[in-house]
Amino acid sequence: MTNVIEVKDMHFAYRDGTEALKGIDLNINSGEFIALIGQNGAGKTTFAKTLNGLLKPSQGYVKCGGIDTNQKRVIKKLVREVGYVFQNPDHQLFNNEVGKEIAYAPKNIGLSDEEIEERVNEAAAVAGIKQDYLSMHPFFLPKGLRQRVSIASILALRPKVIIVDEPTTGQDYRQSVEIMEFLKKLNEERGHTIIIITHEMDIVAQFAKRVVVLCQGKLLLDGATKEVFAQPKILEAAYVKVPEATRMAQALTANGVSKDVLSADELWIQFQEAIGR
Amino acid sequence: MGKIIEINHLTWQYTDTEKPALVDVNLDIEDNMFIGVCGPNESGKTTLVSCIKGLIPHNFIGSYTGEVRLFGKNIRDLRAKELAEYVGFVFADPEAQFTSMSVEEELAFGMENIGLGSDEIRERIDWVAKITNLENLLDKSPYDLSGGQKQRVAIASVLAMQPKIVILDEPTSMLDPMGKDSVFNICARMKEELNMTIIMVEHTMDRLARLSDRLILVHNGKIERYAEPEHFFENVDELVEMGLNPPASIVFLDQLKRAGLYEGPMTTSVEETIEIAQSICARKESVQ
Amino acid sequence: MESVQTKKMMKTLLALIPVESPLYSFHPVSRLLLFVITGFIPLFINMPELNFMFAVVVLLLFIYSKVALSSLKMYLPVILCAGIFTFLTFIFFPGKDPDYKVIGHVFGLALYDQPIMNAFIAYSKILALLLSSIFYFSTNRERDILAALRTLKMPFVASYVLGLSLRSAGMFLEDLHTVREAEQARGLDYAAMKFTDKVKLYSMYIIPLISLALRRSDEISNALFVKGYSLKSSGKRADYILTKYRFSASDVATCVVLILLLVLIVYFKYRYQWFGSDHSLFQYVIK
Repeated sequence: MTNVIEVKDMHFAYRDGTEALKGIDLNINSGEFIALIGQNGAGKTTFAKTLNGLLKPSQGYVKCGGIDTNQKRVIKKLVREVGYVFQNPDHQLFNNEVGKEIAYAPKNIGLSDEEIEERVNEAAAVAGIKQDYLSMHPFFLPKGLRQRVSIASILALRPKVIIVDEPTTGQDYRQSVEIMEFLKKLNEERGHTIIIITHEMDIVAQFAKRVVVLCQGKLLLDGATKEVFAQPKILEAAYVKVPEATRMAQALTANGVSKDVLSADELWIQFQEAIGR
Repeated sequence: MGKIIEINHLTWQYTDTEKPALVDVNLDIEDNMFIGVCGPNESGKTTLVSCIKGLIPHNFIGSYTGEVRLFGKNIRDLRAKELAEYVGFVFADPEAQFTSMSVEEELAFGMENIGLGSDEIRERIDWVAKITNLENLLDKSPYDLSGGQKQRVAIASVLAMQPKIVILDEPTSMLDPMGKDSVFNICARMKEELNMTIIMVEHTMDRLARLSDRLILVHNGKIERYAEPEHFFENVDELVEMGLNPPASIVFLDQLKRAGLYEGPMTTSVEETIEIAQSICARKESVQ
Repeated sequence: MESVQTKKMMKTLLALIPVESPLYSFHPVSRLLLFVITGFIPLFINMPELNFMFAVVVLLLFIYSKVALSSLKMYLPVILCAGIFTFLTFIFFPGKDPDYKVIGHVFGLALYDQPIMNAFIAYSKILALLLSSIFYFSTNRERDILAALRTLKMPFVASYVLGLSLRSAGMFLEDLHTVREAEQARGLDYAAMKFTDKVKLYSMYIIPLISLALRRSDEISNALFVKGYSLKSSGKRADYILTKYRFSASDVATCVVLILLLVLIVYFKYRYQWFGSDHSLFQYVIK
């Protein structure tokens, strides 16, 4: 596993002096699927924005693929390392055609026309956007599709890491699972490192392999999903509640159920074993 | 307890869509109930509650047949001001419903609209700020508030008008867990202490199922189920098929039932389910 | 974000204002009057030194009101640009008059005495007006501005529409900020761009900003309906917020003094031709 992001004693302060991040150390390797969780105001989004140079650390450093984000004139290099998908598609669709939208980023980093075309077709295919849609106006697409266009427009940069801010907000469960399955495919089949910011613990339990918990600008917990959820007491400090199935399993450990259960199905399997069926 | 909302054969279609959003809906809601509304996106949940508030047909264009009655009065005959006195409404996006430049003005605005005097408004602001825990924020501008705080302001501004019915359309979908909890807590108190009828639309079923007296399942513009939680969750498979995510404790209980290990009623409480599981384990041990 | 530490300044749509200030004990109308009168008196005065003194008085008001003077830095470019434009205009387009005297040369252009004097006069007026406007917006929240207008009997609907547009302007600016970040995330480097490209870029913002505004305007219209508001039913309504403000004795005194000052200046200017540029110290400096 190669290191793709290295964060060292990183602080970040906003212009009015509020310190949002207070000394964070973190290493992210290629191929990981990470969930960044914690209360609003804990610094999740601020932290994620420092990972691709949208915000620059006031102390310490962030290196993406070896590039220090504090250097000048590195935006074009950084976006090839780390892509950032914003929460609201409406904030990130500026072009009047879906095709142009996807071509926008490759054009910005100065690729040739043939290369751009190839990447647009590839990104659209991966994101499941049909060729007919490429000439349509993004404004008139349904929200789920607009979100796919925003992801495709980042995919066209072929970044090693893709950060997605609250991909499931406002979606129902089926839509949430769909978008998460798509991110899983990018992770497993195409080798992208995925980082999601979310409040939905069921989604975290189902998809993330590693969980990073932020609390008041500091790293509270970092580890494999099962290990993190096995510490409900510490999580309470960050107002994070473990998934319901995990909570039930933890109450049933005296009866022989393993405490690192992540879903209702796992709970049922464990329970059957515990009662000897 | 009398019927305060009656919907008879309601069909509604927005002008810019091909299919009606609601098809021949019939529904009665009684006084002082907590009603949870769930269903997949685009199934008609928001449309249904918009009809109860009168946003439809008053603020939307489309074709409307059937009728909605509030306290026996046809909703088409009620004006915005009267509707505001009967029904409060809270939207999903805390940002877009903040129409004033400070919390206090936001709270006063609705009361000014329904014609209250300044003294009455002052008293009610004090009262509502206490309930919703906004006392220290009255002076703040919308830019200084978190999402959860904005949503509490939205609820407070509705509460201040003291309507009989409060509708909340996915009020917590943009909030973090702490914000979600505070909204659910306030709603529970509004029902218990102020005897209001609460109608809440939500995606996530766990918190909703635990608070609701009755749950409504909307699917393809129709009301598929309308029942107490114990009965509502009798068929879990169908909910999963529709793409919903029933609470893990209920899925577990359902599996216990199917395996013939449990025969009692469906409970929505996690604690009770844990107790049930523990007693099953204890029984097995004593048999061995 | 809920921050625990106590901040000295807070954000409004247009500026930063102090959290606490002795000025807040004055009624919004007094504050509005202070702005209008300190801003407009210099228009009647053609002696730059008096106007500069006026600007100094406004700066003292900044200190009295506990506005952090560092927040003025933000406006420095505007203040300087206004000065440069004023002087350049009078240097390059001095007009013609046989009485003009040449007092020097710059880049081969003759400098005349009277146009330079006029530049000083114009700039001193602009400076005073700029400073007092900055002062007003650095000490008044949007709600104070609206309360002042409503006390002065601006119709409710008009003031509410004004408030709503301020509100949407605020959301617009927040959106703009996110849109710009989203562009950067797609590899756009502002620092490396030419000016013409930047201008072209602004036209691109229109798409996301208008689509956001369109989706929001529907929501706001629904939010207004829900709160029982309709434009048609404009009966008598209480104005609760105004009852929060008291017009005190010091307000009356302030207003009387301010109005008197204005009347006196206007009176002496037109009755006795005071405050003319002929007696200005700057005349001697230029000569």
